[in-house]
This record gives sequence, C-alpha cells and structure tokens, in this order.
Amino acid sequence: MNAPVWLGYILAGLMLTVSGYCAARLLTARRLGKTTELDTDVMHVVMGVAMAGMLVAQLRTLPVAAWEVTFGFATAWFAWRLLSSRLSPGRLSRGRGRGAGTPWRCRPTAHLVECAAMLYMFLVLPAVGPPAKVTASGMPTMTAAQARFSLLALAMIVYLVGFAARETDRLPALAPARLSAAVPPPSAVPPPSAVPPPAVPAFLAPRCAVLCKIAMAVTMSYALVLML
Amino acid sequence: MTFSETATATPFSDITAVSTRRKLQLALAALWLLDGILQYQPFMFGAGFPHMLSGTAQGNPAPVAAPITWSATLIGHHIVLSNTAFASVQVALGLGIAVRPIARAALAASVAWSVGVWWLGEGLGGLLTGTGASPVTGAPGAVILYALLAVVLWPAPPQVSRALWLVLWGSEAACALLPAARAPHGLSAVFGAAAAQPMPPGAGWLDRHFASALAGNGLAASIVLAVLCAAIAVSVYLPWRFAVVGAGAAAGVAAAIALAALIWLAEAFGGIFTGTGTDPNSGPVLALLALAYWPGRRTEVAA
Repeated sequence: MNAPVWLGYILAGLMLTVSGYCAARLLTARRLGKTTELDTDVMHVVMGVAMAGMLVAQLRTLPVAAWEVTFGFATAWFAWRLLSSRLSPGRLSRGRGRGAGTPWRCRPTAHLVECAAMLYMFLVLPAVGPPAKVTASGMPTMTAAQARFSLLALAMIVYLVGFAARETDRLPALAPARLSAAVPPPSAVPPPSAVPPPAVPAFLAPRCAVLCKIAMAVTMSYALVLML
Repeated sequence: MTFSETATATPFSDITAVSTRRKLQLALAALWLLDGILQYQPFMFGAGFPHMLSGTAQGNPAPVAAPITWSATLIGHHIVLSNTAFASVQVALGLGIAVRPIARAALAASVAWSVGVWWLGEGLGGLLTGTGASPVTGAPGAVILYALLAVVLWPAPPQVSRALWLVLWGSEAACALLPAARAPHGLSAVFGAAAAQPMPPGAGWLDRHFASALAGNGLAASIVLAVLCAAIAVSVYLPWRFAVVGAGAAAGVAAAIALAALIWLAEAFGGIFTGTGTDPNSGPVLALLALAYWPGRRTEVAA
C-alpha cells in the first residue's frame, strides 16, 4: 500500500462534517437567539467543501479557477480585517470591542493563514514547472526541483499546528461551567445609575466552534505536508 | 465592561492567561502534532519505513540492535496498522499536552513514548555506534530531546533542569570530537549531503557554502564546535542576576539557539522536504529547549 487513500476519505468526511456543521450554525444561530463568528463559519463551509475535493478527487465540485478566486477574495478580506485590527485595535481587537456591534468577530490572522494556504494549494502548485503528479488520494505532489515555495508551506504548517495547539488549550476554559463561573459577584455589578453595557447574545456552542477550527487546521497541515 | 461579558460575548478572547511554561508546553504539543502529521505521509505506509527503522540497528551492540530488528520486522508485517497507530499516538500526545487538565499525564506519556522511539526508532541516536553520532547529524537523537523537554516543562526542579542541560550539551561536545565528526571532511560531508537533498533554494545554497568552507577543516571545526557546546553547557550555571555574568548566561542560551539553527540546516530540516521525514529532527527541539532556559524565564518555567 502506498498512499493512504482511506485516510483521504476519512479526512474528507471530517471536512464535509465541519462544513455542514458550520452551515447549520449560520442557519440556526439567530433563530436560537445566539451569536456566532460569521466570517469564520462562512469560510469553514467553503473550506470544508474545497478541502474534501482536494483530498478525494471524486468530491471535487468547482473548477480550480473558481476556488482560486474565492480564496483570493477571502485572503484579501482577512488581510484587510487584520490591517483594520492593527490600525484601530479598540474596534477589532480583544474584549468587548472585538466584534461588538458586528458579527464579524473572528481572529483574522489564523483565517488569513488558512485562506492563504488554500490559495497556495490551488494557485501556486499547478503553476510550478510541469504538471504535478496526483496521488490516489487526489493530492498533487511536488518534486524537489519544483519546491520553490516549500519554505512558505512549511511556515504555514508550523503556524497551523501551533494554532491547533493553542485552540485546544482554550477548550476547557470554554466549558459552560467555566463560563458561568466567570460571572462576577453581586458587588462587582455596576450600580443602576451606570450606563448598562449593550446586551450581547451568548455565543453558540463555543467548544464545537473551536473543535471545527482544530480539525480544519490539522487537516490543512496534512494537505500541506503532502505537498512539501 | 465586566469579565462575564467578555467571556460570554467573545469566548475566543484571552480569558485564560498563558504563562511562559504553558507557551513552551504548547510549542511541544505543536511539535508532536507535526510529527504525527508527518507520520501519516504516504512513504510511512510503504516498505521504506520499516527498512529505515532496521537501518538504525547497524553498528549498535547486539542487545540494542536485536529489539530494533525485531520491531522493524514486526512493523513491516503490519505496516498500515502499526504506522496508523504510531501517527495517531503522536497526534494524541500533541492534543493531550494542549489540553490543560490532562497535560501532565500527556507529558509523562510523551516521555515514555520518546524513550521507546529513541531505542527502537533511532537506535539510541547512534551514540553507541561510536562513529555516526554528531551534533550536526542529530545526536543524541531528536526524540530523546522531546523527553528532555517534557521533563523540563513538567516542571523539573531548577537543579535537575540545569543538570539535564549540562549533560545534553556536554554530550554534544563529546560527540563533536568523535572520529567521524573530526575527520577532515566529516562536517563538510554532512552539509554536502544536506545540500543534495530537496530543500528550499536558499537553504541549499547555504549548505553548499558551508560544505565548501569546511572541506578539509574537519578537525579545527570540530574543536570549535566542541568548545562552543561545552561553553553552552556550563552557561546555565552562571548567576544571571548579575548584569555582566547574566549577559554571559544569556549569550550561552542565545548561542544554543543559533547553533540549533545551524544544526537544523545541516540536518536538511529533518528531511521533511523529501516526504520521508518523520520529524523536524533535533534543531527546533534544541531551540525550544534553549528558550526554556532563557535567563529570567528559568524561575517562571520551574514555577
């Protein structure tokens, strides 16, 4: 046995599950009176479908050019989000400011890297030298002489596995019990005369959202490793 | 703005502080994740992987070599199953270290796993072969460094951490003076072999230039390398509270990071650009380990 084709199918199934789950989040969050990261969930829906097609050739849906345009736009979007957060930290950075009044509240750096990785896999590799050979799992492979951009891929892999570890570290803190324990004691509640903060709906299934991010980062790292 | 609003409205904000030790633990977790992902590469599911494992038995004493040959044969007979298990264990170790409530259990498991792989997968890093071990070829073995890092980040008492550092870099100094390493073309051949591997163009260029510069100067270069390793080994015993001496301690750790980068270059990034690398080799782990010893952070890491 050479290429683990079955692994491609498992990961493709995982990606489609993530995609479907994030689509369900988008559809049900408002109905349940909760909030979600719109840009994250939208990107996970799209990335899940695209990754499944990369891992299993039979699951390819759109032509490569369409994915290139999609992820090119997404990369530009998250680059702009990152730039905005750097230029006006109070608006997009941490705490109340991040995402207050807007559902676009994700961490742009991680999604910028993910979108850039998708763009890299779709756009850069076919343009390098002669046509890349394709494994049974549908993943193109790159010969050593063609590996002009392999250092970039390695940097993205390192970032993504680090991101996955960091997100995993957050999981216990997102447990409902931990979140409710964070409610301040009555003495810490501001007096009635103070201006009440705007009501922000609770976040929909935060741990599931993080699990989606971890699954996406690990699977994308695997896809990039196959292209090194 | 109250904390509860932050926690409820933006659950992905930094509601938990991350200490230096925890950051290093997460870096170790990321390394294990990367190793697991690399272990899932197509090459590892073929005959090449058990062949690579059995190759580490060569030159080792019979009591060390026999279990390596036995396990490589066993793995070769059940390659898909065994490799899937290996890769999954490494991914699980990475995720386990990243989950705080089970981080210590995962660190302990990673030590046990590392020692097993060090023997059965790396032939004890070639230390007992007497010829092949050199700092620039990954001695004393990349995976044992994972165990060492896990012990330091457990955290170990400062005295134990310093002793481990001394033993590690002391052994690197000794390996630098082994016959193969100090041969006239010993170090040059290592960089030359790295340059011949698929690598990013800039790295290959650097390797070729190092190979050319070191050609015929193996003995002198080995002595310099050994002295540098020895200086790094004792640097953690310098009292960093005092400005001048503390600068020396920081310089020692900084030198360790720089040397780790050079070693990684000589290791051709662990061969991860060849599709056959099971880990990024010792360079990144040495650098990560050095960060744990950075003056001023030692107390926090050990806390």
